[in-house]
Amino acid sequence: MGAATRIAGKDLKLRLRDRSAFIIGIITPLALAYIFHLVFGNVFASETLDLQVGLVDLDRSEISLSLGEVLAEIESQGILEVTDFDDAAGADGAVEDGDLGAYILLGPGLGDAAIAGSPFTIQVVGDIDAQTTTQVATAIASEFGSGIGRAQLSVATAVHVGGGPPPADVVTWGQEAALRPPAYIFSDVTAETRQLDAPTFFAAGMAVFFLLFTVQFGVLGVLEEEENGTLARLLAAPIVRRSVVMGKALLSFALGVISMTVLIVATHYLMGARWGPVLGVAVLVVTGVLAATSIMGVIASVGKSAEGAANLGAIVAVTLGMLGGTFFPIGQGNDLLSRLTYITPHAWFIRGLSEISGGGEWTAALPSAGALLVIALVLGLVAWFLLQRRLSR
Amino acid sequence: MATVLAAEGLSKKFGDLVAVNDVSFEIAEGETFGLLGPNGAGKTTSISMVAGLLEPDGGAVHVNGTTIRTRSTAGRSDIGLVPQELAIYPDLTAEENLRFFGRLYEMTGPELAKRTEEVLEVIGLTDRKDDLTKEFSGGMQRRLNIGIGLLHRPRLLILDEPTVGVDPQSRNAILESVEELSGQGIAVLYTTHYMEEAERLCDRVAIIDEGVIKAEGTRRELVALVGQKDRIRVAMTGDVAEVARIAAQLVGVDEASPSDSGIDVLATDASKLLPELLACVSSTGASVSAVEVFEPNLEAVFLHLTGKALRD
Repeated sequence: MGAATRIAGKDLKLRLRDRSAFIIGIITPLALAYIFHLVFGNVFASETLDLQVGLVDLDRSEISLSLGEVLAEIESQGILEVTDFDDAAGADGAVEDGDLGAYILLGPGLGDAAIAGSPFTIQVVGDIDAQTTTQVATAIASEFGSGIGRAQLSVATAVHVGGGPPPADVVTWGQEAALRPPAYIFSDVTAETRQLDAPTFFAAGMAVFFLLFTVQFGVLGVLEEEENGTLARLLAAPIVRRSVVMGKALLSFALGVISMTVLIVATHYLMGARWGPVLGVAVLVVTGVLAATSIMGVIASVGKSAEGAANLGAIVAVTLGMLGGTFFPIGQGNDLLSRLTYITPHAWFIRGLSEISGGGEWTAALPSAGALLVIALVLGLVAWFLLQRRLSR
Repeated sequence: MATVLAAEGLSKKFGDLVAVNDVSFEIAEGETFGLLGPNGAGKTTSISMVAGLLEPDGGAVHVNGTTIRTRSTAGRSDIGLVPQELAIYPDLTAEENLRFFGRLYEMTGPELAKRTEEVLEVIGLTDRKDDLTKEFSGGMQRRLNIGIGLLHRPRLLILDEPTVGVDPQSRNAILESVEELSGQGIAVLYTTHYMEEAERLCDRVAIIDEGVIKAEGTRRELVALVGQKDRIRVAMTGDVAEVARIAAQLVGVDEASPSDSGIDVLATDASKLLPELLACVSSTGASVSAVEVFEPNLEAVFLHLTGKALRD
């Protein structure tokens, strides 16, 4: 291990001296994450955190008022903001001014129609630029309408089968059925705990994307030593051959951890990225760096030259980065892609981070860390075997 | 002298190509041994096996009695390797290069610092020790390349074509450094395809071609092997025909003949004959203006043994 650390120390000095690892490992991902955050951050934020919904209740019956209660409940969960309007004109004006994404209009006579079992109408008016808000409002209105429909059906069935209850009871049953809580429960799991916010997504995406470029400064050093002629001198020294490979892997690991740590701290303070519990992030970083080192180790073992391997490494890094969803969530495209995305360490890293960044326990990162470790072990063994064979030629 | 290196029946194949076939030689303490052959003759493959970089398909290498294997570190500390390519880090200083490789040989602390200073002095880079080696001239880089091989005081130093691509001045400095090594008791294995380097440096030479050692011995032994003679050309004024006739009767002279400006003499050992020959010329009253001695060289031996020139 002594020889390996000496080799790694020498290489670290060389990398610090030529500044290449610093630029690729820290400056570039930090700059790109910040640019992406500036360009796309607001788009993410407006659609996920700022749902402005209006309610125009022209009926003012007990049934129509129950929708206001449902909306108030959802608002109390912080998912949307509800504004009441006295008439449709006021709500239209708010939509046109951009103050409202959509509003629900309950026309006069809705309560009576519901009790009488007659058709009724609920309108949703939305801003064309606020489709998410409109869809949410439509879903709420639709579920409310379905609830009334179910009540009408229940009352009609009871009347038909039982010969008819007292009219007062029919009214009570209808109101109770309409006011019954919906079968679904709104919960902001997707927005808050299982999906990274914009700064964290871009910071994590760029960090893990450039991780493969950063670790290549270590393991591809075997090929550079070969080309420089220094490999012969290392192999002639009284050190075991695996020390050379170990030294290069050690440098990859050190560069990867340093780069990720600096990026995590920097993006937290500069961009407000929320990485989650330190222990969970540390486990993901360590296993992610190991996986990246193993991938580049395989490339180093099959590369004909340092330059050729670096080019191949870049192709692999970009492909895995795209597939792993570091730029955009490609896995949502179709079923095949959503399966393929999990062959990449990028997807597992981001998934693990998504589990913990919104307040989850650090242990929630363990399944993803386990997957990263499997990738690291399998590819690491392949790289180790091939590199040892290469040194024996 | 104790034997430092014993290479016994070394063989190596790469696919169907037989790179080295049954190569054997020994080097004693303080001896400089040359492997002389053209590019592709098997020199680098041979020294790669000696240095433990390549595992021989057949045969064995012993350094100070320890068998050298690729998978073992035993005996490695006794070997210093100076590869044909520059094996230095351009973005490290001369001192950092030396210290890094010194640490790989378990040198530390004051011992490493002292030895680093000594080697920098020997290779003439003390004033430039803090400069990055990428700023060095080719000759300075070559000297550092040799210095790294010497740093850990090896008993066997392997120099693989150390003067390739070096300017004449630096080349001379390198050759002088190698000449000093034998005085320090270091056994030197020197590969080259420059005949004049082998003649100048090596106590014994093995001529290698197509992976096989064709002949081995001192320069004189090799020359004798193919019947080459020394030639002495004496420029003079006087009766050259008479001088040639008298010179032909001296012991050790094979042939003496007059020429336009003097006489040409063929002899087995020119250095022994020369004083007697000059005395003979003076005794006839002739006046000597110049003397040139042409010893048969290894180029001619190589040509004779392999049928081709060294630089083919």
